[in-house]
Amino acid sequence: MKARMQMSSSVVKQEFFKKWIKGMQIYSAFNKEMTIMERKRAIKLSADVAIASTRSATTQWSRAVVADVSTSAAGAARAAAEEILGRKLPERKALATTCSKKIVRRSHQRRSKAAARGVVRSSAAIAKKLVRNRTRVLKRLVPGGKKLDEISLIKETLDYIACLQVQVDVMRHLAAAAESLDHQQISF
Amino acid sequence: MEPNVEAVQPQFRSGISGAKIVFDDIRGLIPDPPETDGTSFTALLELPPPQAVELLVKEDFPAKTMPLPIFPSNIALIDRASMFSVFASADNPPDRTNIFSASSSVKQEPLESEYHRNSSSPAVSDQSLKSIKRKEREKKVKESTKKSKKVVANEASDGSGEQLPYVHVRARRGQATDSHSLAERARREKINARMKLLQDLVPGCNKISGTAMVLDEIINHVQALQRQVEFLSMRVAAVNPRIDFNFDALLAVDSESSIDNSYLGLFPPSIWPEGQTNGSRQQQPWLIDGLHLPSMGRVDNSSNFITPENSLLSYDSPANSASLHSSQLKIEL
Repeated sequence: MKARMQMSSSVVKQEFFKKWIKGMQIYSAFNKEMTIMERKRAIKLSADVAIASTRSATTQWSRAVVADVSTSAAGAARAAAEEILGRKLPERKALATTCSKKIVRRSHQRRSKAAARGVVRSSAAIAKKLVRNRTRVLKRLVPGGKKLDEISLIKETLDYIACLQVQVDVMRHLAAAAESLDHQQISF
Repeated sequence: MEPNVEAVQPQFRSGISGAKIVFDDIRGLIPDPPETDGTSFTALLELPPPQAVELLVKEDFPAKTMPLPIFPSNIALIDRASMFSVFASADNPPDRTNIFSASSSVKQEPLESEYHRNSSSPAVSDQSLKSIKRKEREKKVKESTKKSKKVVANEASDGSGEQLPYVHVRARRGQATDSHSLAERARREKINARMKLLQDLVPGCNKISGTAMVLDEIINHVQALQRQVEFLSMRVAAVNPRIDFNFDALLAVDSESSIDNSYLGLFPPSIWPEGQTNGSRQQQPWLIDGLHLPSMGRVDNSSNFITPENSLLSYDSPANSASLHSSQLKIEL
């Protein structure tokens, strides 16, 4: 893990940027005219796949992101992703996950019954509960985090945060640059 | 540690039974390196664990007659050997009871409980990982327990919960020594180490103590970053009608320097960053021209979509080296 972190951030930024632009170009090759929402979606998808590919499938979250895209993506999105990754995405049917309401309800009832019985427990137990809740939230946030255990979850979060930071930096610079260029043009 | 172990010895020398001899002799080897009566202690150590255990299991193990070439007095190795003996005894329940009867009663309970856990927890690889961690921990200075029975208990607890005898953990003074708490502690330490790294990464987390609060900050940070990505992509989408930025020339610059510099360099011509490479310097006149003459943008690029902005950015004049770069990049892309 430490070795990964020591990779120079500018190298990652460049790599991400190139891949991102590549993805966006593919998109524009597909549809000439896009509404702003479609554009935004295209941009976001290209950015996500690009940043995930900089990790080249060494991390769980990057694999989860790519898997997400391969299940839910349409024509242009899939082509862009494939171009960025440099490989074919396997065709996957989106699994319809049906939750039985009865089971969910019953489990919730059982838990609330136990909770109602207990008064304020020891502080350690409260702390543990808090930590457990927060871990659950974190699992939801980090892509692919649902099936990770606590230790690897923290590792993945570490990597994910670093990559998100890179993504945000590059996007911000591009946005600022494009906007300033736009303004300069308009002023002419 | 050594004197304590020596004090422990006499207890073990008392009983005599088949497999127990192994145990005794291993203990007996501790203070007396030149002693030849011992199991092939070093032989055990050099062998991979399964074979070593196999050796021990053989009942016809003439402990007294085996020669002993070198005797390393490393505590870790001694522990391992003791564990071998434990496993050897474990295979023969009657022998085990003999051993237990001979040892102090304090030792008996942890050993027995560990043995039960041993048989019920076959996951080796996970434990070997943990055991490696514990080995590392053992290398650190641990407070030596004053009481001999504590020492005994510690050494016995080293065989905690693993099939293969890797673990050489010394429980610290006043801490529980059963396998569950040891495993728990190893896990906790791993988690805490990682949390520390996270704390360094997330700004403002250094002062906070307590896992729950730190996790809170981490969650906030991740959510904030994700939201920023959303907003930024919206911003970029709003900038121009087409998302096809032709940044060929930009990429040429990037390949030699950082992106930030290239951004700064492109737009305000007055603030050209220093330390740029030749490529970027060659593009400089082009950029200034491009900015002043937006109408001149005629793009020679792979895509057909041209916006004024794109033409600006990818302005190629034949005399300009930038065209070289962009054509190179086109080939790459």
